[in-house]
Amino acid sequence: MLQNSHLILCVDDELVGLKVRKLLLERSGYQVLTANDGISGLALFEREPVEAVVLDYSMPGMHGGEVAARMRSLKPAVPILLLSAYIGLPSEITSLVNLYMTKGEGAMVLLQKLKSLLEQPVTAR
Amino acid sequence: MNLSQFNRILRQAFLLPVIALLIMAAALYLQMRDANNTVRLIQDTDSRLAQAAQVARLIADEESGLRGYEATGDERFLTDFHHAESSIQPTLDNLSTLSQGDAGQRLNVEDLRNEYQNWHDAFALPIISTVRAGGHANDVNLNLYGKSLMDQVRRDIHAIAYRAEAARASRIALWQTQVHNTIEALIAIALGMGVLIGLFTRSRLHAVSSAYRNSVEILGRRAEEIFQSEQQLRTTLASIGDGVISCDANGLIQMMNPVACDLTGWSQAEAVGRPLEEVFPILNPETGEPLETPVLKIQRTHATIALAPDTALLRRDGSRILIADSGAPIRDQSGDISGFVVVFRDITLERRTQETLLASEKLAVAGRLAATIAHEIHNPLDAVANLLYLLRTGASEEEAREFIDLAESELARVTQISRAMLGLYRESRAPVPVDLKEILEDILVLMEHRFHELNVSPRAELPQSVVVDAFPAELRQVFTNLIANAAEASSPGGVIQVKAHKIEAAPRQPPGATVIITDNGPGISNEILSQLFQPFFTTKGEHGTGLGLWVSRGIITKHGGSIDITSDTNPATHGTIVTVFLAEKPTITAGPSLPTP
Repeated sequence: MLQNSHLILCVDDELVGLKVRKLLLERSGYQVLTANDGISGLALFEREPVEAVVLDYSMPGMHGGEVAARMRSLKPAVPILLLSAYIGLPSEITSLVNLYMTKGEGAMVLLQKLKSLLEQPVTAR
Repeated sequence: MNLSQFNRILRQAFLLPVIALLIMAAALYLQMRDANNTVRLIQDTDSRLAQAAQVARLIADEESGLRGYEATGDERFLTDFHHAESSIQPTLDNLSTLSQGDAGQRLNVEDLRNEYQNWHDAFALPIISTVRAGGHANDVNLNLYGKSLMDQVRRDIHAIAYRAEAARASRIALWQTQVHNTIEALIAIALGMGVLIGLFTRSRLHAVSSAYRNSVEILGRRAEEIFQSEQQLRTTLASIGDGVISCDANGLIQMMNPVACDLTGWSQAEAVGRPLEEVFPILNPETGEPLETPVLKIQRTHATIALAPDTALLRRDGSRILIADSGAPIRDQSGDISGFVVVFRDITLERRTQETLLASEKLAVAGRLAATIAHEIHNPLDAVANLLYLLRTGASEEEAREFIDLAESELARVTQISRAMLGLYRESRAPVPVDLKEILEDILVLMEHRFHELNVSPRAELPQSVVVDAFPAELRQVFTNLIANAAEASSPGGVIQVKAHKIEAAPRQPPGATVIITDNGPGISNEILSQLFQPFFTTKGEHGTGLGLWVSRGIITKHGGSIDITSDTNPATHGTIVTVFLAEKPTITAGPSLPTP
């Protein structure tokens, strides 16, 4: 499983959800960093050699769209997967990220989408 | 022209002819007095003439007596002579007296007296003496002398008579002139007065007639104005959207407008004269019991009344419509009640519209929570789905137990949320004991994520159960609205306090509970505060329906409670406090909570 030991950053204010997601990704061979809110997530993102981000949209203080925009300005090449409990986010937010999915679609979908993100050559924005 | 002016004219028209006649009578009197004087003068002249004739006769008697005696010597002839002789002096005196005013005549009379004396003394007496002495007196010269004396006397008498005749003639002429003048003056005065009275009467009548014409004109105009204003009122009544019925003091119908006819099912012609309760029977829509007629109620209270909000009108065909109505007494000038007016309208459609609004507001409350619900359900579902994947792909026994525990707790979260959601919709038919603490905690759970999102911190102070009888879903709707308002007002970084506690019975207040929701938002200006409970008033633009507080107040009022909002916009102490009072055992009528406008 070392062949895909990419470093992934997960940001979510849901503690249980975050914990389970970290477990899931680690089982799938990823290295996972977690953050409970946008600010600490951005700090980790800047400091660590993060290869992909799984970002929750709805968070207190700073929502996922804003976090994604800042991450883009810091490291434009890192792919971002936006997770949301809502359906139908505005296009100016979805256009900031590489992929966008609704929570509850299942672990398979998440893993598949994350994999595709890491395999794709990412074009700098 | 007013009445006193008219009376003055009447007085003038009466007095003027009277005064004119008095003046004429005075003039006539003066004229007649002059004429009377003249007549008296004429009578004087007549008696002078008579005296003169008397003198002439007496002298003639004396002369003929003397002749007889002269011829016969018989003393008997002298009887006449002596008789005349004795009478003549008084007669001459009379004549002299009568001629006092006329100097020439007096002279004539004195001449006569002298001439007569002359004849008497110088002729008659000597003749008598001669005859008596036996002598002859038929001497021609003597008798010629006597004749000449007598001629003198006769001339004097003639002169006196002539003068008197002349005076009489001139006085008669004067009298005629006076009569003539009187007639002329009478005609002139009569003409003048007639013309004057005529002109005066004409001018007065003219004034009266023009005043009369004015009055007629004004009356005509008034009548036209009254007619027009009546037409205007009639048209207003006919075109007004509400039913209007007017009754006399006994409650018998006098007038109904077309809308009233339409709503009651009675035509105006059939309804007039009938008692109001026959044409306008009103019932309690729930029980079907007849309600007191507006007329009786007004007679009892003597004031304008608005009828019970729930009133049904029994139409002539037996169908019922919901109406809102009011009644008012009509007072005459002395303030006594002379009739009644009842105004009513069909609110069936209005009621249905309000019910639709209430339903849509209920949905709006759910919509307000939709984001929370999506989030609150999707997040646990996501965790559960991931946990199931982990279990399926192989986990140690210890791990599996942990995953199952986590999944159970996440599912419990979903259950709690779905219960709280259902509580918003599931409604009992009658009030049930409701624990406000439970309801408020449920709402806080439901809104947890929303608070998170808005970055506000809820602080619940709900130390113990607070139970009141209520419709739980409706209270959930109210408190969800109020807490969401507080959260939105104090975002970001605000603090919301939710408190509930029991209230003991106080004078004029039953036992109950108070729920206080406080936020430290910027506060509400007085201008907005006064409009908060108006329907369709919103400060949230497209995001608000403007019905939340309106409906909330309706619900709380239905529960026999009250809702008060105080707010402070002071930069240091800003914030808003919403206080809801609920009675512990309220009398609640079933049905939709219709806010009273």
